[in-house]
Amino acid sequence: MSTNQKPGPVVNEWARPYWDYAKQNKFCLQQCNDCGKHIFYPRIACPHCGSSDVKWVEVSGKGRIYSYTVVENNAPSAFQADVPYVVAIIKLEEGVQLLSNVVECDPYQLEFDMPVEVVFEKLDEEVTLPKFRPVKG
Amino acid sequence: MSSLKNKVAIVGIGEVPTGRFPEKAAIYHAIESARLAIADAGISKDDIDFVMPTASLYSSQFNTELVTCRIPEELGLKNAHTNCQIFAGGSSGSCFLSMAGSLINSGVAKYVLCAHAERLGTGVTAQGGIDLFSQAGISVEWEVPYGQHYSSIAAMSTGRYLHETGCTDEHMAAVCVSNRKWAELNPNAAFRKPLSLEEVLSSKMLSTPLRAKQSNMLFDGGSAFIITSAERARDLTDRPAYLLGTGGRVTHFAFSQEPDVTRFGWAQAGKDAFEEAGITPQDVDVAEIYDSYPIYQIIGLEELGFCGRGEAGELFLKGDTWPGGKLPCTTNGGMLSQGHTGAGGGVALIVEAARQLMGKAGDRQVPGARFAVETGTGGTYMDAQVSVLGTEIV
Repeated sequence: MSTNQKPGPVVNEWARPYWDYAKQNKFCLQQCNDCGKHIFYPRIACPHCGSSDVKWVEVSGKGRIYSYTVVENNAPSAFQADVPYVVAIIKLEEGVQLLSNVVECDPYQLEFDMPVEVVFEKLDEEVTLPKFRPVKG
Repeated sequence: MSSLKNKVAIVGIGEVPTGRFPEKAAIYHAIESARLAIADAGISKDDIDFVMPTASLYSSQFNTELVTCRIPEELGLKNAHTNCQIFAGGSSGSCFLSMAGSLINSGVAKYVLCAHAERLGTGVTAQGGIDLFSQAGISVEWEVPYGQHYSSIAAMSTGRYLHETGCTDEHMAAVCVSNRKWAELNPNAAFRKPLSLEEVLSSKMLSTPLRAKQSNMLFDGGSAFIITSAERARDLTDRPAYLLGTGGRVTHFAFSQEPDVTRFGWAQAGKDAFEEAGITPQDVDVAEIYDSYPIYQIIGLEELGFCGRGEAGELFLKGDTWPGGKLPCTTNGGMLSQGHTGAGGGVALIVEAARQLMGKAGDRQVPGARFAVETGTGGTYMDAQVSVLGTEIV
């Protein structure tokens, strides 16, 4: 694989539903049937209580920017064409957090703790990446 | 849990210059550092019974050589009963102390040679280094597809910290200036020319708010040390560096899973280490705090209790951390100025802590240094490892 080709995620079998839902533009997380907590990233068992009784649930896709940066220089080869691009940690309403890009915005107008919502960006026929944009209004 | 307090000591240190040495094979940095450490300890090479290399990232071939006993063979160690690698990324140096110390304390080993060598300066290209560190330690499932790399990681810690504390870019730049002042006095440092706040603040933006001169650079280099029991140490030298306390916390693998990217596990790890040692930050003469980026050196000092939250930047700015200051900090220049050699950044800080305590730091010697603290962290700041060392048993 050329280093300039965008790296898709390595998809483990127990995480496949996350990516399958994303392809259908649905944002789903695991939730533990025993302790009730949401789980990200997908696990083979609940990391909170150890239960293997977990289900997939569709969630709001809403959260806030915990931290972010605008990448301007020295990006990985596959992302050089994208600069400036935003890498951010999003804290979701469900209490879990994940890494993503914030898109559909002026990167220099973003703020810490700003509300964001999920959008779906098709990488190729196989993979759709959940990304986030500022909530309007 | 059995404690290593007062049980083991570093008795010899060795280090080669950090820089770009295209003519030197990676193994040179390991075996020359090891040879210097053995000579410094005043022991015979054949006293070494356990060889503990850490890992190299630039080449799997070289790393395999470290795993498969090349160091004992190159040095002709006749009595090595084990060669076994210890690797925890940037906290490998701290882990050397606890792992080798445990082997000594249990009687499994008598003299452990801990050694590191890396060739990240000439073994990979500049872009190759960026690409290597957009995958090494970064989740290929959850972060690599979003363009994560170590500059963006440090930038996210820095940005959130500045947002929460009201500190400024100038405070971050002051760490680079402080480390450079020490590196000017360090013949093994890659960067020895004076550095000003203005130069740091006008350097190229990498990932906001992190600039190029707030980023470490990758180099070739190596360092090594010998650890043995406190009893044997006393027979060898009047001034070994005793291990007085250790503390550690593992917090995450994927950076995005860390709930507080401005604190991590340093407060708890530091508390454990200081409590075991029976001293406080106020007793510390030299603080060898892991940098790699300025934000982590600031967080380290604050979370360990050297000052309050949001106050470390001022210490760097007004010179408390500089040569001659009240709180000498990262006295080899750190990864920002001595240079980043992978796991070696942390090993070099252990070697520097021992060097200061043993009174062997030359132009940058902190006069009368009795207590040193050293920190290390690996991967995407995945763990917080703290060691307290001293010139005497407490």
